[in-house]
Amino acid sequence: MKAPFSGYLADRAEGLKALAARLRERYDYVSVLATDSKGWRVRISQHAKSVADETMTTERGCVVRVHRDGLYSEAAFNDFDPGDPRAEADRLAAVLDRQLALLRDVGVEPYATAALADAPEAVVAEMETGRLPEDEDMAALIDRLTALSDRGVAAGEARLGEGSVLDCSVTAQSTHINKLFLTEHRDLRQSYVYSEGTVTVDVTRNGRNEMAYEGLSGRGGAELFDGLAQKLDEALDSAEELLSATRVEPGEYDIITAPDVSGLIAHEAFGHGVEMDMFVKGRALGADYLGRRVGSDSVTMHEGALCAVDVTSYAFDDEGTPAGDVVEIERGILKTGICDALSAQRLGVAPTGNGKRENYEHKVYTRMTNTVFDSGDDRLEDMIASIERGYLLKGISSGMEDPKHWGIQCIVEKGYEILNGRLTGRVVAPVVLTGYVPDLLGSVSMVSGDREVFGTGGCGKGYKEWVKVADGGPYLKARARLG
Amino acid sequence: MTVENIVELLKASGADAWELTDVREQGWEFYFIRRRLDQNRAKLTEHIRVKLYRKSPDGQFLGSAAGEIAPTASGDEARRELARLLENASYVKNPYYTLNTPSGAAAAPGEDVDPMPIARDFLEAVRGVPETESEDINSWELFVSGVRRRFLNSEGIDVTSVYPYSMAEVVVNARRDGREIELYRMYRSGACDREGLARDIAETLRCGRDKLIARPTPNLGSAAVVFSSEAAKELYGWFSTRMGAGFRVFGYSDWEIGRPVVPDAEGDRVTLRALKHLPNSSENAEYDAEGAPIRDVTLIEDGVARRYLGSRQFSQYLHLEESFIEGNLEVTGGTATPEALRNGRFLEAVEFSDFQVDPFNGDIAGEIRLAYWHDGEKVTPVSGGSISGNMGALARCMRMSRELRQYDCWRIPAVTRLEGVTVTGME
Repeated sequence: MKAPFSGYLADRAEGLKALAARLRERYDYVSVLATDSKGWRVRISQHAKSVADETMTTERGCVVRVHRDGLYSEAAFNDFDPGDPRAEADRLAAVLDRQLALLRDVGVEPYATAALADAPEAVVAEMETGRLPEDEDMAALIDRLTALSDRGVAAGEARLGEGSVLDCSVTAQSTHINKLFLTEHRDLRQSYVYSEGTVTVDVTRNGRNEMAYEGLSGRGGAELFDGLAQKLDEALDSAEELLSATRVEPGEYDIITAPDVSGLIAHEAFGHGVEMDMFVKGRALGADYLGRRVGSDSVTMHEGALCAVDVTSYAFDDEGTPAGDVVEIERGILKTGICDALSAQRLGVAPTGNGKRENYEHKVYTRMTNTVFDSGDDRLEDMIASIERGYLLKGISSGMEDPKHWGIQCIVEKGYEILNGRLTGRVVAPVVLTGYVPDLLGSVSMVSGDREVFGTGGCGKGYKEWVKVADGGPYLKARARLG
Repeated sequence: MTVENIVELLKASGADAWELTDVREQGWEFYFIRRRLDQNRAKLTEHIRVKLYRKSPDGQFLGSAAGEIAPTASGDEARRELARLLENASYVKNPYYTLNTPSGAAAAPGEDVDPMPIARDFLEAVRGVPETESEDINSWELFVSGVRRRFLNSEGIDVTSVYPYSMAEVVVNARRDGREIELYRMYRSGACDREGLARDIAETLRCGRDKLIARPTPNLGSAAVVFSSEAAKELYGWFSTRMGAGFRVFGYSDWEIGRPVVPDAEGDRVTLRALKHLPNSSENAEYDAEGAPIRDVTLIEDGVARRYLGSRQFSQYLHLEESFIEGNLEVTGGTATPEALRNGRFLEAVEFSDFQVDPFNGDIAGEIRLAYWHDGEKVTPVSGGSISGNMGALARCMRMSRELRQYDCWRIPAVTRLEGVTVTGME
């Protein structure tokens, strides 16, 4: 079925167009983004259960972007009265004028930027989905998740002993995204559903706590949660491994990254590293390396809402730019970055469909969508066989970007020891992978033929501005420093 | 829909209990590239969040479901959402607990906060930062809000807090011989601390100079690490999170009241207190998010667990009286001066890419962006590599300075020293 566009937004569209028309009397460019995204989140634990009609991306509100005298300004609000667009325009302009009066008083000059183009365009993208979140049978869903949590505890205790499982929590969330983007000549509407679920098994032994986590995601409805039973089995396996894990001896090793860790590296290395709003500020080393080698011949990487179907595979971004699919790195050569519309205007390049907001209340930045290494043609067993001493890294905890210096930090859940071309069964955890991005990507020597994409996480810019992203890739063989 | 309209709908909804939180915010935001204005933004929002409760027929369980009623919702839309939430609440089965009740006369809220004078303070403070040809501000972002937060529930609580909230993100550059580096700072506070902000940015510019000449971090294996920056909050977060009522209910914390939290401690003993007020904290409030009054409470005293603290639900499961969700925290118990803690061979880490302490298992990890290696003879700025370890072991020999330093809602020892931290270097 197609995810139907919001009736609320459809009803408000004419009023918002009237508001934009009133604002155009004062400004030389006006756009309006209006959102009405609904969804729910269920968390079932042995100790507490919760259900809420809120997810990371549920929202209802509007933001207007205006341009005058080279300066872009925005006003976000969620009490729009379509009955009196002139009064709304006066209210928004008044608060922006008050800000500008302060800035003039303090002596601030604008970063002059030309007005955005406004070529005529009309889009209604109602994407295919399974079940809609608003139609979900919540009683049945809560029952299923509760049974899964109960099974996790029973199976975990059967494996690890009575009292060894502190909890097995299961979460499920589904969101129906609706966005309306308007300018004088453009009317863009999109509607799609994405969902994500996680299973977490918390275990303890001799005072040592460990947490094993597995997740799934996709651009679809609650039908995706059929896969949670398999994720529970994988989490139970992982919990058992973590309880017997030891620390890695710090040093440099041959590594194989599982697709989830490959995705984290893609995200932290040349996801953030080529967000071109950072080029404008001179905060990204990538600006100096376009056309130059940043990885081995085995490394090709794509970025874009169109290059995978997952939680952030939209039709247009929050500035009305159509979704894209950019080849960032081709056979080790950095080809281009990704760009929001204002940064593109300042840099004299075309936007790539990566202008995203945390929600209507937040500013647009250049942000990632799907960031994915291309597959190769190696087999995983051959990759393992090629390593004398090293680790197969799997499971992600967190990562941190450093576009200015190309440092990388990835905290990986665990590593499987490889000795003389075989997995030994020994597990180390956690593993801190650090290094210099070109060294890490330059060391990629084998790439498997399969590929997975993961979308259960969120991504911040610095320590704020959280958005949904997905990333992934195949198994990669490389060399890295572990601690 | 107004709050009053929604309260009437809640009363008529059939819910056994309900809560409503109304947050009105006037936010001002300024974004700068160098000294020029990238963009100005205004935020005029109201968020009305509700939570409906339903008791099981036998009274053993209490379910809840939360949601938001948009100010633009029609009466029918609001009624439908409340009915949906009430139905969902009936599917949720948590052990029964009760909501907070009024605790005396509510304090009268103050006037709404105008963001403009606070924003002016920030703008002038940053403008006054002395830049040089080799050290300057790359870009910065300012967020100032006046917030009015009202909480009501079915038990008769109706309390309002009015407060400012500020956040500034500052990126500084330093350059030498054609090489440029950056350092990142995030400041959170109530209003603007002009002197503190200017002092800290100047300090960051100095760190930038040192990072330019930093050598690769040596492979130290096990070493003493001194923390003298905001990252140290994470170390103390391990103590506070493990004294959280929810953490205890979930079985994640095994700390027993009246027993040492770190058995066989050879270092300083932590005293951890939740405080109602810290100067210019963004967390200063009379009431928590569930309408419980906030007061000063000791959670850990001289290394001994004194009480858990947390939400109404988990506090009742632990039979805690007069509990609340803490906002401000203070850590004391240090016995040494900062100078005394900086003795012998040690690594003083001042800048991480992202320093983390996992409260669940105590693992610590962080990539070093700038540290100072004191080898007993000389001091060398170093960068790269990482530190790791586990708080369960490291806290046994933790030393803290008597002198304290405040980072927004945390007041912690200015200097903290851990022994036996794994330092994975670059050499």
